[in-house]
Amino acid sequence: MIEVSELRKSYGEKGRSIIAVDGLSFRIRPGTVFGLLGPNGAGKTTTIRVMTTLSDPSGGACSVAGFDVTRDPASIKERIGVVPQENNLDRELSAYENLLIYGLLHRVTGLRKKISEVLSVVELDESRERVVQDFSGGMKRRLLLARALLTDPEVLFLDEPTIGLDPQIRRHFWNVIRKIGMDGRTVVMTTHYIEEAEALCDMVGIMSKGKMVAFDTVKGLKKLVGEYVVDTITEDGRLEQFMCCDRREADSVASGLQGRLTIRRSSLEDVFVKLTGARI
Amino acid sequence: MNTMSWYPVFLREMLLFRRKLFRVGYLFSAMVVPMIYLVTFGLGLGRTIDVGGMSYVAYLLPGLVAMSSMNNSYSWVSSALTLNRHYFKTFQVFVLAPVSPSAIMLGEVFAGMVKGLFASLLIICTGFLFTGMFVTTLFFLVALLLNCFLFASLGVITGMLAKSHEDTSTYNNFFILPMAFFCGTFIPVDRLPAMLGTVVAMLPLTHTNILIRKTALDNEGVVSLSVLVCYAVVFFSIGSRLIRKYSE
Ligand SMILES: Nc1ncnc2c1ncn2[C@@H]1O[C@H](COP(=O)(O)OP(=O)(O)OP(=O)(O)O)[C@@H](O)[C@H]1O
Ligand SMILES: [Mg+2]
Repeated sequence: MIEVSELRKSYGEKGRSIIAVDGLSFRIRPGTVFGLLGPNGAGKTTTIRVMTTLSDPSGGACSVAGFDVTRDPASIKERIGVVPQENNLDRELSAYENLLIYGLLHRVTGLRKKISEVLSVVELDESRERVVQDFSGGMKRRLLLARALLTDPEVLFLDEPTIGLDPQIRRHFWNVIRKIGMDGRTVVMTTHYIEEAEALCDMVGIMSKGKMVAFDTVKGLKKLVGEYVVDTITEDGRLEQFMCCDRREADSVASGLQGRLTIRRSSLEDVFVKLTGARI
Repeated sequence: MNTMSWYPVFLREMLLFRRKLFRVGYLFSAMVVPMIYLVTFGLGLGRTIDVGGMSYVAYLLPGLVAMSSMNNSYSWVSSALTLNRHYFKTFQVFVLAPVSPSAIMLGEVFAGMVKGLFASLLIICTGFLFTGMFVTTLFFLVALLLNCFLFASLGVITGMLAKSHEDTSTYNNFFILPMAFFCGTFIPVDRLPAMLGTVVAMLPLTHTNILIRKTALDNEGVVSLSVLVCYAVVFFSIGSRLIRKYSE
C-alpha cells in the first residue's frame, strides 16, 4: 500500500523556492501497476524521490509498504527497488561489479546466482564483465532495471524505465513489468509513452504543475473525458477535436461538421492532452 | 551482520581504486610531488634550516608522510563524493540502501585511509631509496592512522557540503594547502611568528607532525594524541550527521 496525502515538496531557499509538488494525495493498493503521467516538470520525479526516501517532503505525509518516509525510511529501503530517471550506475565498474555492490549493500542472499538471473532477464549476460562506460544508452537502462530487480522488491519505482529502448526490448520490459504486477507486487512508473501506460497500468494518475488532475483506471479516465473523439481538419488546416461521451453524440457532432472527419475511440493520449492542456 | 555493513561501500571504492592504480599516470603523479619536495627542500633549501641537530632529510621525511597522507586521504574522498552526489548520482545508491549513515561514513573513511596509507608507503619507499633507512615507531604508525582517519572524515564533510566541484578546490586552498606548509612539515612550528603559531597549534596536522616524530611518549605527545583523537571523533560524527541529513 502506498499512501500519499497532502504531499508538498519545494526546492531552494524560502522566498525564491520552486514548488515541485503541491498538495498531492493518492492511494495505491498492493499489486497495482500504477502509471504516473504528466508533462515535463509536472513533479513526477520529485514525487518518486520523496516516496523512495531520497528527498524529505516539505509538507504532508507519505508512506510506502506501511512505513512512513520520514519516520522509518530504513524499512522502506529494504522493500523497494528504484530505476531512476537519471542513470546512477558506476561508469568505471563492470555490470557485474555494479550489481555486486548493490547486492552486498542490500544483503541479498545467493547473490552470484541472483546476479546471473537478473542479467539474463534483461539480456545482458554477455556484457557482464564489460565496463558500464562502454554501454549504449539502452544497455544502461537495462542494467538499471536488472539492479532494481536484484532484491525482489515489494514495491518497484520506475522513472521512465523504457526511455531510449528499442521496440523489442521495450516490449520485453513490458512483459517483465506485467509479470511483477501479477506476482502481487506494486509498480509505480512514470512514462511519456502513453501507449505504454495504456498497455501496462491498472491505475493512472495524471499530474500537472505539482497537482494530481486525474486518478483512475485507463477506462475510467476515458469515460471521464468521453469515449469517442471526432477529429476534423478546419479550413485553415488546424486539427480540431471533439470529445463525445458515446457514439450517438459523436455521430450527431459529426453530422454538423463539414470537410474531412474521422470518428474514433478516445485514447489515453486524448485524456492527457485534454487534462493537462499540453502535448507530450 | 551490521558490523560489516560498511564493507560494500569500501569495496566499491577499492574496485574503482584498483582501476586507477593500473593507469600509468596515477603512480607517477603520486610519486612525483613528494619527490619534488624531497629534492628541493631535503637536498637543496633545507640544508640551511636548523632542526635541532638531526639531518634535515631525517626531519623532513616523516613530515612528508604526514602531509601526503593528509592530502591523499582528504582529496580523494572529498572530490569523489562531490562528483558522486552532483554529477554521477552514484551516491544515491548508498542512500537508498538499508545501511546506516555511519556505515556509509566508515566505508568512505576506510577507503580514504587506504589511499592515504598507499601514498605514505610510496614516500617511505622513496625515503628508503634516498637515505637507506626509514625509522618507523609505534607513534609514527598511530599518528599516521589517526591522520588518515581524520582527514578522510574531513573529506566526507566537505564532500557533503560542496555545491559543485569548484567548491572542492576552494576548500582545499583554504584548509589543506596552508596546513601542508605551516604545520611543521618543512620547518618546526616554533620558527613561525607568534600569532601564526597560535593558530597553527590548533590545527590537526601540527599534532600529527609532533606525534609522528616522537620516539618516546612525553607530555607533548599525549596532548597531540588527544587532540588528534578529538578531531577524529568530531569530524567523524559531523560527517555521519551530514549523511543522515542528506536529501535531494
Ligand atoms: N534538484 C532540484 N532543484 C531545484 N528544482 C528542482 C529539482 N528537481 C526538480 N526541480 C523542479 O521541480 C519541478 C518538477 O520537476 P520533476 O523533475 O519532478 O518533474 P518531472 O515531472 O519528473 O518532469 P520530466 O517529465 O521532465 O521528468 C520542475 O520545475 C523542476 O525544475
Ligand atoms: Mg522526471
